[in-house]
Amino acid sequence: MRRFLTLLWLEHRRNWAWAVSLLGSLAFWAWGIQQVRVTILAHQLGIRVWLLAIAAAIGAVVLCLMVGRIRSETRHGQYELLLLTPPSGYAHVGARYVYAVGVAFAYYIAIGFLSWWIFALAGIHFDARTLAELILALPFYAMSVSVLPLLAWTILLMVFVSAYRVSGPGWVPGTVMALGTPFAVRWLARGMFHIAYRLPGWRLLVDVPAAFPEWTGPLRAESVFQFDPAAYQGFPLEPMLILLALTAVLLLVAGRIWQEVEA
Amino acid sequence: MLARLENVTKRYVKTEGVRDLSLDFPAGEIVGVLGLNGSGKSTLLKLLAGLLFPTSGTVSAFGRPPRAVRGRLVFLGETDALWSWMTPADACRFMEGLYADFDVARFHELLEVLEVPRRKTKTMSKGERGRLRLAMALARSAKLFLLDEPLAGIDLISREKIMRSLVHEWHTDETILLSTHEVAEAEGLFERVVYLREGRLALDARAEALRAGGKGVVETFKEVLA
Repeated sequence: MRRFLTLLWLEHRRNWAWAVSLLGSLAFWAWGIQQVRVTILAHQLGIRVWLLAIAAAIGAVVLCLMVGRIRSETRHGQYELLLLTPPSGYAHVGARYVYAVGVAFAYYIAIGFLSWWIFALAGIHFDARTLAELILALPFYAMSVSVLPLLAWTILLMVFVSAYRVSGPGWVPGTVMALGTPFAVRWLARGMFHIAYRLPGWRLLVDVPAAFPEWTGPLRAESVFQFDPAAYQGFPLEPMLILLALTAVLLLVAGRIWQEVEA
Repeated sequence: MLARLENVTKRYVKTEGVRDLSLDFPAGEIVGVLGLNGSGKSTLLKLLAGLLFPTSGTVSAFGRPPRAVRGRLVFLGETDALWSWMTPADACRFMEGLYADFDVARFHELLEVLEVPRRKTKTMSKGERGRLRLAMALARSAKLFLLDEPLAGIDLISREKIMRSLVHEWHTDETILLSTHEVAEAEGLFERVVYLREGRLALDARAEALRAGGKGVVETFKEVLA
């Protein structure tokens, strides 16, 4: 445990500038959201939600860049130092991943708060349960089907390329893996589409539309959402469960390959 | 036997690091690993550290594959591998947290002896960083030390401090393998010398025997590797 905590400390020292910059960038996005001044309230809300979606996407890219800096460590010799330490490859990969996920949670929960603020600016106020879903459950779901597997994939890719750099052309497996990813994603998405809703869905944000009728103006809630609470199935659980399992597999493979890395 | 190579060959993408190398390293020796650039010195030490895997043959340390016992051996590479934000205090935390055999008190003594400044490595000179890395390595109570060019690119004063520390800190049950280009400076340190040429063993001799034969380590270096 002490070794793992030391690796986490090392991750923090290596990445704190990235983490602080990422979290600090939310101030910029908040400022941008506040600058949106469109008279039609629904359009204003739509633009602001789009800005937030862009912030979420950029955050995912930054997080991947943060965990994917193995190549520069390989060049500068720090990777060699890490390979010589007693903790296993699984511990190294795990620490790298856990730290990145911690930063990601902070970032996406903050985005959850911003989304609550956006609705509040539009005069839409939620009850405590919906608020908790917006700030905690929705970021968790969104991360589970996007950022969490993406971070694991990035770590695996970088470890894979580094592993076969010394005694073989490491860029070959890396390129094959990168080129094969879109096909794998398409296959995965198709498979998940087929099995979605075999389990009961996660009925998140079911009360959001109910908050809209208080919104008076030319656009009422019914014209924004074609929402039937009885037909609402919620968010499908299968993609979340499959991608979380896939994330675990990717991390295990990365940890195993770490044991093979030469420097 | 503390470390052993049996018919070891290591090939890289386009070159060969070492070829059919067989060597034994018992406990309690200071061994000079000498050779010209590209002779396979670093490859040999990295194979023993578990940083490289042999293409063929067997490498063992403490009777096991080196990667499995990496917590029991010390490797000091020639790469200036510390993070730029690291201070000696950070280095201490890093080593103490990861290595059970790291002696904090010894590390602080070594920082004093080697006159390592207490600031970030990015503001240190190459010699100061080299001395910090050596303090990190020597503060461990390991039995096998693999030091790859610890004197390379380091000023004369720092080199002398490093050499003094190596002699002072060495315990008779420890084995040190030291590769260096500074053959003349390190000559007095070696008990045994392994000369490598183009990845092959050119000569494996006791330093005392070389001196008794009228040729020192340096003279033999010139003769064998010329």
